[in-house]
Amino acid sequence: MEKDVQTEKLNKAESSDRVLVYLVSILLLGFVIAFIAADKKSFSENENRYLAKVPEFSWENIKSGAFTSGIENYFADHFPMRDAFLSFMTEAERLSGRKEINGVYIARDGSLIEVYDVPKNTEKQIRQFSKLAENVSDARCMLMLVPTAVEVYSERLPENSGYDHKQKQVIEHIYDSVNEDLLTIDAVDLLDKAGDGMPDERLFYRTDHHWTMPGAYEGYRAFCREAGITQIPLSDYKRSVVSLDFKGTIYSKLNDPYFGSDEIISFEHPDWKLEIEYSDTSELTDTPYNSEYLKQKDQYSYFLNNIHPLITITNNDVDSGALAIVKDSYANSMIPFLIENYHTIYVFDTRYYKGGPSKFINEHEDISDVLILYNMNTIDNDTGIGGIY
Amino acid sequence: MVFSSLSFLVFFLPVFLILYYLIPGRAKNFVLLIFSLVFYAWGEPVYILLMLLSSFVDYCDGILQEKYSGEPGKKKLFLIIALAINLSLLAYFKYADFAVGIWNSLTPLDVEFPHVALPVGISFYTFQTISYSIDVYRGKIKAEHNYFDYLTYVSMFPQLIAGPIVRFSVVQKELHTRTINEDGFVNGMKRFIIGILRKVLIANQIGSLFDAIRTAGDISVVTAWLGLLCFTLQLYFDFSAYSDMAIGLGQMLGFHFPENFVYPLSAVTLTDFWRRWHISLSTWFRDYVYIPLGGNRNGRVKHLRNVFVVWFLTGLWHGASWNFVMWGLYHGTLLTLEKFIWGKKLEKLPVFIQHLYTIIIVIFGFGIFTFDDLGEMGRYFAKLVGIPGNAFFGKEFLWYTGNYLPFLVAAVILSFPVYPGFLKMLEGRNNLIKKTVKGIGAFAMAGLFLLAMASLVRDTYNPFLYFRF
Repeated sequence: MEKDVQTEKLNKAESSDRVLVYLVSILLLGFVIAFIAADKKSFSENENRYLAKVPEFSWENIKSGAFTSGIENYFADHFPMRDAFLSFMTEAERLSGRKEINGVYIARDGSLIEVYDVPKNTEKQIRQFSKLAENVSDARCMLMLVPTAVEVYSERLPENSGYDHKQKQVIEHIYDSVNEDLLTIDAVDLLDKAGDGMPDERLFYRTDHHWTMPGAYEGYRAFCREAGITQIPLSDYKRSVVSLDFKGTIYSKLNDPYFGSDEIISFEHPDWKLEIEYSDTSELTDTPYNSEYLKQKDQYSYFLNNIHPLITITNNDVDSGALAIVKDSYANSMIPFLIENYHTIYVFDTRYYKGGPSKFINEHEDISDVLILYNMNTIDNDTGIGGIY
Repeated sequence: MVFSSLSFLVFFLPVFLILYYLIPGRAKNFVLLIFSLVFYAWGEPVYILLMLLSSFVDYCDGILQEKYSGEPGKKKLFLIIALAINLSLLAYFKYADFAVGIWNSLTPLDVEFPHVALPVGISFYTFQTISYSIDVYRGKIKAEHNYFDYLTYVSMFPQLIAGPIVRFSVVQKELHTRTINEDGFVNGMKRFIIGILRKVLIANQIGSLFDAIRTAGDISVVTAWLGLLCFTLQLYFDFSAYSDMAIGLGQMLGFHFPENFVYPLSAVTLTDFWRRWHISLSTWFRDYVYIPLGGNRNGRVKHLRNVFVVWFLTGLWHGASWNFVMWGLYHGTLLTLEKFIWGKKLEKLPVFIQHLYTIIIVIFGFGIFTFDDLGEMGRYFAKLVGIPGNAFFGKEFLWYTGNYLPFLVAAVILSFPVYPGFLKMLEGRNNLIKKTVKGIGAFAMAGLFLLAMASLVRDTYNPFLYFRF
């Protein structure tokens, strides 16, 4: 081995290096000043979460390291021009030829599709779904797992991405394993067919992880087919475009205006006579839609008025029949199509509805049908699964 | 705290530098000491006591050795006590769980795992304090009398947690008097910026490609090799970028640390590789283990023993796990074979073959290095030769390379001294061309620095999209 190589002793600095170093120094000082001077927001709309607060300065916090990590979080959350930096990084990676950024595929048609991660909680889902079916005494229980864009639009995924239809396999595995009393509803084939047959009608948003109402109508068709219920034709509904500037949740992961935005299509039945009650706020409305949300970032909440533990929808245009739905946000755009088939629909969000829907269902004799509806993209991280029983 | 974080770049560093440059003379050491302690305590609020203890032991040892310099027996005793304390601390805080695991697997007596959390940087600063005590013993340096100056040396934040392992002899003079000027700031800051770019834009990017390949289930033989290449590049850029930042920060403060990496992936033999990779560690083992054991002087058998002791320890130094030991012995064995068996023949082969030979050994070695789960290592290595029946080539190879092509190409080019060679080529030619190239380079690097910051911001970007409570 040879002698230590010493750093070259102080050389004169070159003028090009001065340019670089002072540019960067000014940049860093600029950020110091901007950070101190800037107004600190408490909520990030783009990330849909509250931002970190200054941690409490206490001996306990210092000793445990909570103080310094709290400062780090505060610093990161309130960093000047955060959103612009995110766009910059996405744009640089996109230009470098990347087709998967931050867990998002950039599809051939320019839309954004989330990568499907290998699920970890499938067995728990099987247990909980079965439990509900066992607990419900009289009503008929059905299960519908909705494939998402990665499955239905798999042929639009970037070249060589190698998606192996894992989502479909997981759906089949769950359907094969759940309690036999559960009637399982296949939504894959109708969505696939619609995707091939109407390539220009978007079944899933370009920038959001949800399905569109036309996509949800295919889910409704699958439900009617399996449940033996009369399907109301789409032509009976009044179709309208309610938003042209929806930037969804997948957009937020990249925050790059290059990817554009979505339109939101909404359907209304002319005969609806609705009373919709939201149990937590005791609010009453006559429509399943809330246009207020179209002015906000979170436009998907237009459907069924965002999150509520229990919603009761009564349609006086229909004489009888009651349906209970245990669901995630995908159901919010399919439920409007079910309204013309049932007098009453009870909608449970088990992230917030405590005590298990089966008790409620058994206490309400009018309920003849129970539908569990989840999408395959977010089910694995859904915190409401444990509340299904 | 780490250098490649927003809080360091936009908070710690500017505040520190402003104070450091404003405060005059000897008080600069005090600023450096305070900020170094904060830097360490930032991530390790409790273990900082351990560092203070460790440095205090060696400080006292230096004084005592000096006091009893006329009595070799006592002097030696003090050295041994200091070494014993340093090595026991390192052994307990780094290797206790590993040792208990071995004990439990060999004996029927089950000892409970102590579950000690590894204090950041302990392997680095322990080696520094040990080298100090030994160098005082050898009369290579004079003992330091000012505890705060000594502590400033041990805790100095640029090199505290990931090297280079700076010996006291290198910085003793600069600890007391050093030149701090604008040229040093510019050169040092430039080196630091280069380190940030190499860490954030190369190491992190290639690292995420490696993670993707490592966790993918079915990969072809070619992709498995690509994965190991990625890990090698990630490790090199990560580690050497840290040394770049350390050396650059040192330069800004008026210190001159030794180079730690000199294009190791461009080596033509394994011996050559080890002259270029983590130099401050290999010279440490040479000077404090290999040579004291007798080096190559006492016959072939003892020479071989010494080589294997050094490589066993080098492996173990990297982590308390068998794969690191295996990695060390793997290199020790191949270096020995190269030295005695095929080294001469290798030199006669075309340079291209020499590069290929070296890089394959290195890449495969880092495969051993990265998998601390031996089962996972076996499964991955099987894929390298198609044992599980995986194809030689698959479309996923195109997917991975397509997604990361510019970063892979940049990493490979930057692993060789291409850019310095290019500048040398311009030397003596048209001055205008040279100036233009350097001018464009300066603006491009400032732009890339902004991109590196964007990348750091994105890492903290944490959309909570589906649930709000």
